[in-house]
Amino acid sequence: MSAVLEIGHVTRRFAGLVAVNDVSFTLGQDEILGVIGPNGAGKTTLVNLISGTLMPSAGDIFFKGDKITGLSAFRRARLGIGRTFQIMRPFPGLSVLDNVAVGALFGHGAGESDLAKAREKARVQLDFVGLGRFATQRADELGGPNRKRLELAKALAMQPRVLLCDEVMAGLNLVEIEEVIEVLKKIRERGISILVIEHVIKAIKSLSDRLLVLHHGDKIADGPPDAVLSNSEVIEAYLGRRRS
Amino acid sequence: MTAFRVVLVVVLAVVLAVLPLFGSDVLIQFGINALLLAVLAQGWNIIGGYTGYPSFGNSVFYGLGSYGVAIAMVQWNLPFAVGMIFGVVLAVGFAFLLGIPVLRLKGHYFAIATLALAQVMSAIVSNISLAGQNIGLVLPPLNNDRLFYELSLGLLVLSTLTVFWLTRSRFGFGLIAIRENEEGAAVMGVNTTLYKVLAFALSGIFTALAGGIHAYWITFLDPESAFDISLNVKMIIMAVFGGPGTVFGPILGALVLSAVSEVLSSEATNVAGLFFGIVVVAAVVLMPRGVADVIRQFRVSGWRYFIENLKAHRI
Amino acid sequence: MDLLAQVLINGVLLGGLYAVMALGLALVWGVLNIVNLAHGAFIMLGAYLAWHLYTYFGIDPFLGLPLTAIVMFCLGYAVQRGLLNLIVRAPMFNTLLITFGLEVVLTYLAQLAFSADFRTINPPYAGNSIALGPLVVPLARLMAFGVAVVLTVGMWLFLLHTKLGRAIRATAQNLVAARLYGVEPRHLYAMTFGIGIGLAGAAGCLYGTVSQINPYIGATLTAKCFAISIIGGLDNPLGVLVGGLVLGIIESLTVLYIGATFGDVASFGVLVLVLIVRPSGLLGKTA
Repeated sequence: MSAVLEIGHVTRRFAGLVAVNDVSFTLGQDEILGVIGPNGAGKTTLVNLISGTLMPSAGDIFFKGDKITGLSAFRRARLGIGRTFQIMRPFPGLSVLDNVAVGALFGHGAGESDLAKAREKARVQLDFVGLGRFATQRADELGGPNRKRLELAKALAMQPRVLLCDEVMAGLNLVEIEEVIEVLKKIRERGISILVIEHVIKAIKSLSDRLLVLHHGDKIADGPPDAVLSNSEVIEAYLGRRRS
Repeated sequence: MTAFRVVLVVVLAVVLAVLPLFGSDVLIQFGINALLLAVLAQGWNIIGGYTGYPSFGNSVFYGLGSYGVAIAMVQWNLPFAVGMIFGVVLAVGFAFLLGIPVLRLKGHYFAIATLALAQVMSAIVSNISLAGQNIGLVLPPLNNDRLFYELSLGLLVLSTLTVFWLTRSRFGFGLIAIRENEEGAAVMGVNTTLYKVLAFALSGIFTALAGGIHAYWITFLDPESAFDISLNVKMIIMAVFGGPGTVFGPILGALVLSAVSEVLSSEATNVAGLFFGIVVVAAVVLMPRGVADVIRQFRVSGWRYFIENLKAHRI
Repeated sequence: MDLLAQVLINGVLLGGLYAVMALGLALVWGVLNIVNLAHGAFIMLGAYLAWHLYTYFGIDPFLGLPLTAIVMFCLGYAVQRGLLNLIVRAPMFNTLLITFGLEVVLTYLAQLAFSADFRTINPPYAGNSIALGPLVVPLARLMAFGVAVVLTVGMWLFLLHTKLGRAIRATAQNLVAARLYGVEPRHLYAMTFGIGIGLAGAAGCLYGTVSQINPYIGATLTAKCFAISIIGGLDNPLGVLVGGLVLGIIESLTVLYIGATFGDVASFGVLVLVLIVRPSGLLGKTA
């Protein structure tokens, strides 16, 4: 299984603070990689570095074997890297359908040039995530869980090869979380590799093939979920050192 | 657009086109001014209304268009059409050269940077001898108001068709995405830098053409009037009052405000100014999305529309 | 060499005045996110108020400055409470438009009330100067500079060490949190804007002693204050002081070495450069 995404010794500094410190890992074809870690561990920064919103201070990023370290965000999007945002970012003035249509117009391979076709493709994605009946509503009128679905639909309309999910389950109840897990598994079946940042450990354990743990910018574990979650360093990062 | 609306627009356009045959000279002159202002508002609409970058530098494009025509006709003895093209070339050049650094700035910083650029350009041009320096240039006279009227109307139709095209094209969608959420647009594959500069240049083209027509019409220009900042403010107010980000809003705003201003000017010279100020203040409070939105929403919410706006924005 | 030193002194004195002019604008912008295009018009009103106090009551402008500032403070409080509070949560562009409308109204009213003549405030000592060797320091300008520095440092201390100052800074950073601590936003916003306009009034008072006033100076002054605020950064009154000094010196040097008409070009040119290179200003924090 060849690596779709390779992160090689990537570091990102912000005026005195090292948010991501010499992190290396790969994301394989059809793999779901979970990324966990306490708040402030550098998870969102990592996603920003992969999507091109931020540039690394050091290290390289490879996508399907090609170096993409210096590429701007929109070029990476056109290569096939899609992402959702933790703090959701719809286009408030546009309808739900048109929000997703933007993805179809500009995504993988520079997307579709015909507006009508883009809207058709958008509708397919909306139905896939279960937002079909909200198509004509304004995006900012959607409630929390539906906004998460919209984020997913927008990214999917880009026809990505890699999907970066930043806390798609935050604030959802147990039933909604199950639904998201099912959707993500179906996305994987379409041949899209997924990197999922999550706090809901139980959910991510059942979803991921592998887990990556970040703490204060360092990678402290990388492996199968069971092994990682019983790793003492990981437990210490979340719960603190045992007083003996 | 429904068939009814299309017919309505076409009828209005035809009425406007034949107006010079029946109207008085004063009316035609008012018409030229109002139509050119509508073009300016529509041009601003492209960069300010659709892309979300409120430009205070469109007066530079206006000035470049005016001077393009003036220099071509006065200094090089070229025909008007060539002068217009020259003006457009200058405008596009400016948009690309200075647009790139300035469009990296957000919101009000962009506004201020363009404002500063406008001041700088005005001062620079007043020192170029080819442009007649501080004294300005006098163009060959052409006494044909009807021609200028039809030219202005034609330009307005062209700019409006362009804006309409924006609403149904990939490019326009990209601009709207940039306006609504630039970072979100970028990660979805929109080449934000290129699109912003193109929008700026497109806005500049129409503004420059309007400047060119205006210069030839009044046969005189100098740096202060060509790069007049208050003109930029006027076009913004008209676009915003009418409805930014809509196809007809700016036209509506320009025509209504021009008409009101004209009526008041004949009553008392400066009351027009005061009225303008009060209208702007009231409009921003009660109808921040412009007249076009009022027309659209009034059927749904009635008078509550204004109260809703108030409640949403105050503390 | 003497000419250069003289020009530099002029620039510094001018810079101090510029700083206090921009102080109110920077405060209101940095704290309330209100871009006040009418700021120059308020400076103009302050100048006229000081002129009237001097001409009709014989109150020396420097002594009458506190009174001018207080009256303008009340005006600013009323404007914020009655009008601007209505659009605080609207997109920031709306504040640009509404203050523009306000500027038009204020200019018109001023022209109606005061006519378009040029006036100056001319206390008897206005023409005097102090000699520093071969250099000439006009007394009125020196006094204006002194007051300007006092006001700027005072503002800095106020924001840092008083309860109200800290409440203002807290509200600037996080309105919701500030509310939870008992800050009443409508009143606080009005206080902040009032202070901003009070400073504009004081600046107008000083301006009137060194330059001519008429109802139309508002727009140009506003543009200058923008340049100063951006060059100096919005976070810190001392930054505004630096911005004012930088602009004053650059303008004076430009007028000397390049030409009188290029003074404005220099200010705005610097503004554009600062915006492109370092949008948070010379003293502002980097992103």
